Parts: sequence; structure tokens; C-alpha cells
Amino acid sequence: MDPVFLAELAINGALTGLLYSLFAIGLVLIYKASSVPNLAQGGLTMVGAYVVLALARDVGMPLWLAIPIAVAIMFGLGFGIERVALRRLAGRPVVMILMITLGLDIFLRGTTLAVWGGTSRSMELGVSYEPLFLGDILVSRIHLVGAFVAVMFFAAFLLFFRTRLGIKLRAIADDYMASWSVGISVERGIGLSWGLASVVAVSAGVIWGEIQGVDQALSLLLLKGLTVAVLGGLDSILGAIVAGIILGVVENVGADFLDPLVGGGSRELIVAAVLILTIMIRPHGLFGRHDIERV
Amino acid sequence: MSMEDQTVAEPILSMNSVEVLYDNVLLAIKGVSIEVPKGKMVALLGSNGAGKSTTLKAISGLLKAERGHISRGEIRFRGTAITEVLAQNRVEMGICHVIEGRRVFEHLTPDENLIAAAPLGMNRAALNAEKDRIYNYFPRLAERRNSLAGYLSGGEQQMLAIGRALVTQPDLLMLDEPSLGLAPFLVAEIFDMIKKINREEGLSVLLVEQNALAALEVVSDGYLIENGRVVMHDTAEALKANSDIQDFYLGGKEGSNFHNVKHYSRRKRWLS
Ligand SMILES: Nc1ncnc2c1ncn2[C@@H]1O[C@H](COP(=O)(O)OP(=O)(O)OP(=O)(O)O)[C@@H](O)[C@H]1O
Ligand SMILES: [Mg+2]
Repeated sequence: MDPVFLAELAINGALTGLLYSLFAIGLVLIYKASSVPNLAQGGLTMVGAYVVLALARDVGMPLWLAIPIAVAIMFGLGFGIERVALRRLAGRPVVMILMITLGLDIFLRGTTLAVWGGTSRSMELGVSYEPLFLGDILVSRIHLVGAFVAVMFFAAFLLFFRTRLGIKLRAIADDYMASWSVGISVERGIGLSWGLASVVAVSAGVIWGEIQGVDQALSLLLLKGLTVAVLGGLDSILGAIVAGIILGVVENVGADFLDPLVGGGSRELIVAAVLILTIMIRPHGLFGRHDIERV
Repeated sequence: MSMEDQTVAEPILSMNSVEVLYDNVLLAIKGVSIEVPKGKMVALLGSNGAGKSTTLKAISGLLKAERGHISRGEIRFRGTAITEVLAQNRVEMGICHVIEGRRVFEHLTPDENLIAAAPLGMNRAALNAEKDRIYNYFPRLAERRNSLAGYLSGGEQQMLAIGRALVTQPDLLMLDEPSLGLAPFLVAEIFDMIKKINREEGLSVLLVEQNALAALEVVSDGYLIENGRVVMHDTAEALKANSDIQDFYLGGKEGSNFHNVKHYSRRKRWLS
């Protein structure tokens, strides 16, 4: 096969993969604090996109203003979800929290349908659709922008988890009871992680909304995002980045080989295979935390 | 005797006929009353399941996390009723509970464990001074300050759990079986250090132990709790001289808990 074409597939795959990572970072943040995969992350992403659109189109704000305001609103929403829905579940089996997140996803989808209807709206970020030439290789500008945003979030969270507040969040992820015992507010920590995940959701919503339009289908990003998070290890932000790149490349290159053989649709199969194989072969993912066993 | 000698120091903690229910049905302690005088070290002794940890959780407010609640009685800290106060606010008030089983934050380094426990309001200089203070008390920790706490030895983890509690600047430190699973020399080292902190900083300590022998060496008073009730309260000297407690030491050789006291006493009575 033509090496330039292969490189193009790989690079564009990696960029798309980083967009999955952007989504998956939100999942990781909540998993760290609550030990559940947040099934409403897709819903939050979709709502994030709708809120930006509402501010930009319906209210008429410029995007540079609409996005930060949407970030603030979504942070409040995430924080509020802990307050209203999750706090009373403290100490209950994790599966109950999982079900709450599923219910929340359905609720968010229903709400956007009721308020904004089901027709796809465009984000119109103003990023040019002229492909960019890197040497001989064609890349999409919006993917490049999204990948950059993902890497920035990665760096920001890497730093954040070294701050005193970040260390407290990691302590909560380690042991609720011990956290309470030294006066850490576990509840507020979980609220904060939901708030931050919702902020990440705005950025994923804006980028993906630009790529595929803003409608309820945005919430389906959960499937690929979850695959990336699981492959990365669910509680590792670095894992989300690396796994995103891997999934993106494997998906893009693999589909190019397989599609002619199976007649299309092999992308979904590749994603499913990655998810299932990860759980069977390496349940902690690439960078997931094992429980420490001292020898 | 002067007036001053007669006034007993106001207790920093007093617990009055406290009853605790788990899951609204299981009565774990049944009217426990204990006092910790300011600046003193007090032991709470008893066998497995006697209600020692439950008593500490009632005081620290951690009961709530285990679906337990105080169904009767009152707990006062420096004279203020705290029964309704949230656990995190009790830490701010100066009560810190080192929970059973040295639950350090395993995926954090000792340094980060200490930082995690520091109130966000504490400034950087104060935090560093605090870390130095802890590492001074426990020099072994200083050597391991940047490795993951999960990989520390049991003794080091216990030291870290205590150090982490000290960072919250408690006036009352409650320790739940710090000697569990540790070699005797380590127990002595840790208890000596707690005693030292008690002496130097006036820290009041409530020490839960099954290892009565070690505990009675460092405390001034002790309570013995059985089946959710206080069955004995005396000075450490008197408790050490008490035949039932002494029986425990003998029993300790066979099975090392207070259940054996009773069996042992009964058997002794039977034989004599
Ligand atoms: N979370 C809980 N839910 C229900 N019952 C509990 C809970 N924790 C303790 N109990 C019960 O309360 C009673 C007292 O337990 P507690 O843990 O206070 O004893 P303990 O004196 O600390 O014992 P040990 O020396 O084994 O730690 C026991 O009967 C125990 O089974
Ligand atoms: Mg106990």
C-alpha cells in the first residue's frame, strides 16, 4: 500500500482518536471520584453543545463569549447533579449510581428534544473546511483544532492533579472513609469532578457538534468514548489520550483494509472488538490502577 | 487542699449515655458514657465487636457513612454538643479519628497524604512546617516521602495515618487499634511518639486498643467496654492491678481477647 496514504489514514485516525479522548477525559474524571462510568457523559456533551448554540444563535452572543458562559453553566449543572441526584445515594451500591447516570442520559436527551427539537443544527465555528496539507498528507482543520484542545485539557488536568485541590480529589478516589476522617468533603469533591467533566463535555460538544451537527446523536459518542476510557484504564487521563490515539488509528487503518472485504461497517466492529478484547485480556486497561498488593 | 486542686479540669470530650443503631435495627452500643480530660490520654479497651470502633465513629461523625446513627445520648466537645455536626466540621473543630486498619491513601505518596489532609486555608509555609513536624516525629516516613504509600510497611503506614491526622491540627486525637498487626518494638515506638506529642503539645488522646498491656503503659485512665456497655472505668494503675485485666494478660497467651477473660475466669472458678 502507498505509504503516504497509510500515513494519512494513521494521522487522521490519530486526530479523530484524540477527539474520542476529549470525550473520554470527562468519563475518567467522574470514574476517578465515583468509581462509575458516567453513562450520561454523552448527554452532557450534547447539552453542552445545545447550550453554546442557544447562547450564540438564540441569544445572539459571539462564540468567544457563548462558550465560556456555557462552560460556567455546565459546571454548575454538573455540580448540581451531585447535589440533587447523587448525594442521597452515598454508601449505596455502585450499580445504583450507574442506573442514575443512565436515567440522567435519557432525561437530558428528552429535554433537548422537547426544547430544541430533533433537527440537526450546525455549530458554525468558522473553522475552514479547506484541508490542510502537511507535506503530502491531507488533514482536517477542525480535527486538528479538536486534537489540540484534547491535549490542552490533558496537560491542564495533569497539572491540576498536582495542586492541593487535585491531591484531595485523588485522595477521595482512593478512600472515601479515610477522606472523611481527615475532614475532606467527599461530596464536594464528587461535585467538583462532575463539574469538571461537564466543562470537558462543552468542549467535546462544540468540536463534535461542528463535525457532525448538533442533535441527539451527539449523545451516542458515549460508545466510542467509553471504549477509549476502558482501553485507557478508566481512571487514567494519560490512558484516555493514548487509548484514543490507538483506537482512532486502528479504526481508520483497519476499516480501510476490512471495509472492501466485508462491504462496509467494519468501524463499528473494530470498536466493539477493542472494547471486548480489552475487558477480556486486560481489564485494568493500559494505564488503569491496580489495587496495590504489598509483598 | 486548695480549691484549685479540687476542680476537675473540664473534659475536652464527654459522651453521655450514647446509644448507636446501625441500619436502624442493630444496637451496637448501649448507653456508653466516657470522658477524656483535657490533655490526657485515655484508653478504651475491649474485645472484638465490643463497640470500640462504633464509639469512636459516633464521636468523629463517621457513623453516617456506615448508615449508623446516634439514637440516644449526647456527645459534647469542649462543652458544645456535636451530635448534629457534620464529620468534616468536627475535624475543623479539632477532632480527628485515625480509623481502623491504617487506611492511608495508597496511590498517593506520604507527602501527598499529608497535603490531602491539610485544610485548603493553610498557607504554603504553614503546610511545609507541618510536614517537617510530622517527619520529625516519624523520621522513617521522611525517607519514604516520595514513594507510594501503598508500598510502605505496616508500621510506616500507621505512622503516616497518625501523621496525616496530626496535619488537621486536632485537639483530640482518636486512634483505633494502631498496634494491630505490628511488631512489639514498633508498637512501643508508635506509642512513645504519641505520648511525646501528648506531653509536648497537650494533645488529648482517646486510644482504642485490644493490646491492653501496651495501652495501659501510656494512658492515665482506661475504660473497659463489653457488649456495647462500659463495664469498668479506672486509672491505668488500678486497671493494671485489676485481677480481671490481669487475667486478660494470661488469657492473652491463649487467644488474646477479652472473651477469653470470661472463659478463663469461669474456668478458674470452676477449677478452684
Ligand atoms: N457498619 C456496620 N453495620 C452494621 N453493624 C455494624 C457495623 N459496624 C459494626 N457493627 C456491629 O456493631 C458491633 C460493634 O462493632 P465495633 O466495630 O464497634 O466493635 P469493635 O469493638 O471495634 O471490634 P473490633 O475489635 O473487632 O474492631 C458489632 O456487633 C458489629 O457487628
Ligand atoms: Mg474496631
